[in-house]
Amino acid sequence: MRLHWAHALSRGLWGGWGPSQAARSVSRHSSRPAGDPASGAPAWRDPPRDAQDSDRGPAAFAAALETLERIPGRRVGRLELVAAALAAMPALGVAREREAYHRLLRLLPRGPWVPRGPIQRLLAPFPQQQECGLQILEQMERYGVVPDAETRFLLLGVFGPRSRPVRKCQRMLYWLPRLRHVDPHPLPSVLPPPGLAAARLGLRRIANDPDARITVYQRPVPDEGDNEGSVEPYIVGERRGTQGNPGAQSPEQQELLARHGTARPVFVEGPFSLWLRSTQLWYYVLRGDPLPPHLREDPPDPERSLYYPLHLDLDLERGPWDDDDFDVDEVEEGPVFALCMAGAGDRRTLGKWIAGLQEANPVLGRTPVVFRLQDGDPPAGATGDPPTPPLGVVPPPSAVLEPPDLPRGYGHSTQGGGNKGNTAPGE
Amino acid sequence: MAATRGLLLRALRAARPGPVAFPAVRRLRTAAPRPAFAKELFLGTLRKEEVFPYPEISNEELAEINQFVGPVEKFFSEEVDSKKIDQDAKIPPETLKGLKDLGLFGMQIPEEYGGLGLSNTMYARLGEITSLDGSIAVTLAAHQAIGLKGILIAGTDEQKAKYLPRLASGEHIAAFCLTEPGSGSDAASIQTRATLSEDGKYFLLNGSKVWISNGGLASIFTVFARTEVVDKDGQLKDKITAFIVERDFGGVTHGKPEDKLGIRGSNTCEVHFENTKVPIENVIGEVGGGFKVAMNILNSGRFSMGSASAGMIKKLIGMMDRPGFPDCSVEAAMVKVFSSEGAWTCVSEALQILGGLGYMKDYPYERYLRDTRILLIFEGTNEILRMYIALTGMQYAGKILTDKIKEIKKGNVGVALGEALSKLRDMMGRKVDYGLVGDRGVVHPSLQESGKKLEENIYYFGTTVRGLLTRFGKTIVDEQLVLKRVADIIINLYAMTAAISRASRSISIGLRNHDHEVLLTNIFCTEAYFKNNYAMAQLQKYADENLDDCIKKAAKQVLEKRAYICSHPLDRTF
Repeated sequence: MRLHWAHALSRGLWGGWGPSQAARSVSRHSSRPAGDPASGAPAWRDPPRDAQDSDRGPAAFAAALETLERIPGRRVGRLELVAAALAAMPALGVAREREAYHRLLRLLPRGPWVPRGPIQRLLAPFPQQQECGLQILEQMERYGVVPDAETRFLLLGVFGPRSRPVRKCQRMLYWLPRLRHVDPHPLPSVLPPPGLAAARLGLRRIANDPDARITVYQRPVPDEGDNEGSVEPYIVGERRGTQGNPGAQSPEQQELLARHGTARPVFVEGPFSLWLRSTQLWYYVLRGDPLPPHLREDPPDPERSLYYPLHLDLDLERGPWDDDDFDVDEVEEGPVFALCMAGAGDRRTLGKWIAGLQEANPVLGRTPVVFRLQDGDPPAGATGDPPTPPLGVVPPPSAVLEPPDLPRGYGHSTQGGGNKGNTAPGE
Repeated sequence: MAATRGLLLRALRAARPGPVAFPAVRRLRTAAPRPAFAKELFLGTLRKEEVFPYPEISNEELAEINQFVGPVEKFFSEEVDSKKIDQDAKIPPETLKGLKDLGLFGMQIPEEYGGLGLSNTMYARLGEITSLDGSIAVTLAAHQAIGLKGILIAGTDEQKAKYLPRLASGEHIAAFCLTEPGSGSDAASIQTRATLSEDGKYFLLNGSKVWISNGGLASIFTVFARTEVVDKDGQLKDKITAFIVERDFGGVTHGKPEDKLGIRGSNTCEVHFENTKVPIENVIGEVGGGFKVAMNILNSGRFSMGSASAGMIKKLIGMMDRPGFPDCSVEAAMVKVFSSEGAWTCVSEALQILGGLGYMKDYPYERYLRDTRILLIFEGTNEILRMYIALTGMQYAGKILTDKIKEIKKGNVGVALGEALSKLRDMMGRKVDYGLVGDRGVVHPSLQESGKKLEENIYYFGTTVRGLLTRFGKTIVDEQLVLKRVADIIINLYAMTAAISRASRSISIGLRNHDHEVLLTNIFCTEAYFKNNYAMAQLQKYADENLDDCIKKAAKQVLEKRAYICSHPLDRTF
């Protein structure tokens, strides 16, 4: 009821500068697209241009509001003004700037919206106004802008202590700094464009083992006319010294491969996708199957340790209440020997990778390597020629080499893509 | 510390099969192998006849020891300039010659080969004096405690006759070559290789060894290398073999002496073998049996450490006693751990008391500190020895307790009830009686309190070991934090026993200042008692004091990043 007149004002019925007018002035500044309407990506996704650009940026926002700032004390349509400004901020590119929000908050009146007395506080005072404050804070939260002591001061002046916006501000001050550190493996804020650098980053994310070494196999750019200027297909391969479960104490990779034996094949599988925010990378895995249980661990050599026995010759097992080895979530996986990200996912490039690995692991030359590539998701730039089997490769699985059932949970590329998709924090 | 050695001595004297100077004492012992004292402690049994009364040597032996001690002490106080040795990082040749003349290079070699043929007590007593200078002590130890020990314990008569005389006179110095850059205690990763020649007359040795004491001075090396051996299944395997290698065989080179923190006078360097021809007569033991030889040498060489640290502390404060031999390998390890850590604490304290003066090179305290630091590291690092002590004890106890534990686990009602009843009685406060205290107790009445504490600890230790074996079984090998506590407890128990035994004897026969000994024993036993109780409380399941899981978690997080992961306290978030 009491807001009828405000609604009337908003429609500019009483003349004067209605809020729609104010909003129009704001949107006038933002409605000039400048340059990239066609790509379909919403304007706010683009990084803000520098402040000299008169169409965007904090200067534009300030310009939009300055008329209003110059006429303080107008008790007309502030709520709609704030709503319109909030909607326009992304377009202007100031959505991640705290100063812009402060400017907006300074437009709100200080005092009139503060409830007086506990009884008024009891009766849910100024609901729409407090809702408006909450909208501002909500937008700040969505864009990851952490409020400041000044924000809190402004809110206190406008809404008074113990009001919903101030409470929300307190909560934001508690949680948002914490949530910034919630990602144990944060991506750098500026990602490299898809290419060699992104591949390195991706490999480091997949296996962050300090012992692993990343090598780049790349043919030098030839001088022919056709291929001039193009980036040759590269492979960024990583040699891992670890087994499937991270943090396990493990032998060197050569020992792993050597122990794997030449009788059983190793598989090159892929491509699996990895998302780095909005870049999709494809990687391939060289892995072997897990050993059947009876071949698994050779009995400990009694002559290994000079100083203390590594193995007690007792007939006692661990009590079941102390045995926390079994974990339902952990899946048995065979050893992963190497990873790579290829610029072009055809057999030739992958063959080059295998050949490169062979230098460090001569045993790989004698082990049959089976290529199990998923042709459903070829990465961009795959050449059209049919895959030529590189050296030492056995053709795709025949009955003899039929592998056992893949352990449950071992993702194919479609599942892997779904699993690996990043979810933005707080959404 | 000394008392511990004394007990070791008794056990060793009894166990030693060789000729003992005093058959009178020997007749009291049977020659049948008895379970060792320390291993029995793991079952909660105290074999008091082995430790009470405290072992004594006869008057004649005492006189003989004192006869030896005199000239050696004189030599060390007059002609050994420790400061100069430390500064130059070299032992002067005159000093070496003096040591050779005194016969100190052949202390353990039997008289028929030209050595002194000292018993273990005398060796230990002299060891106390030689360790007044750390570098000389290490040189001598590397020569005889490990360098030529292989020939002594596992060599054939021809090898002994060929090498021991010259080693005893000091004409040749011996060194022990086991460690390589890639392998410390892991015998499986030894890379030095010995291949048999075509005519089968000699081996070709190739490889390099690192951190060899006396490497530059020695001319006779005990080298461990891999050889291919056909084992009984007919399979070709790589096993370790021990060789006696002379420098004259050719192909033996050594690097420059390492610059060390302490024991700077001792010569430590790399030794390289390039196609060295080793005749097959120089194999110690049998081909492929090097592992056993290495273990025996290391175990037997360990006891000399105790006397060395004792001697060193004696200089700073003034105290202690003697060690022993085979199958008391667990006791020897305990002695090594206890004495090295005790020595380190004492020397640190001494330096601290002196404050700034202690820190200056003008005074010898900093040299002692540096020399003492290596005690915790060589001859088996203390951590590894704790594993050894705990695991050997667990193996022994496990063998005996397996049946009982299996009965309990099977859920036999009668047995379970018995267990529950026993636990109830434990909680109510059971009275343990090992015969130490009381009317017929072997311990002197002044030490009743300490004796009672010891008995209590031993009983609870037995229960704890049983509990651990029930919980973990043979997977206890992986629970190193648990094993460390077990080792700490048993070392304390052994030390308490030794101290009580020695003080009891001392007050019973009226040695000078026996009341001081009794006082020290009571202090030590009370402290050890509380430490043991705390450790045993930590070993209970679901104990609040047990922080193992938290520590492991923190360690894992640090290891993942290989750095300190906390943010700086001055960082702000908003």
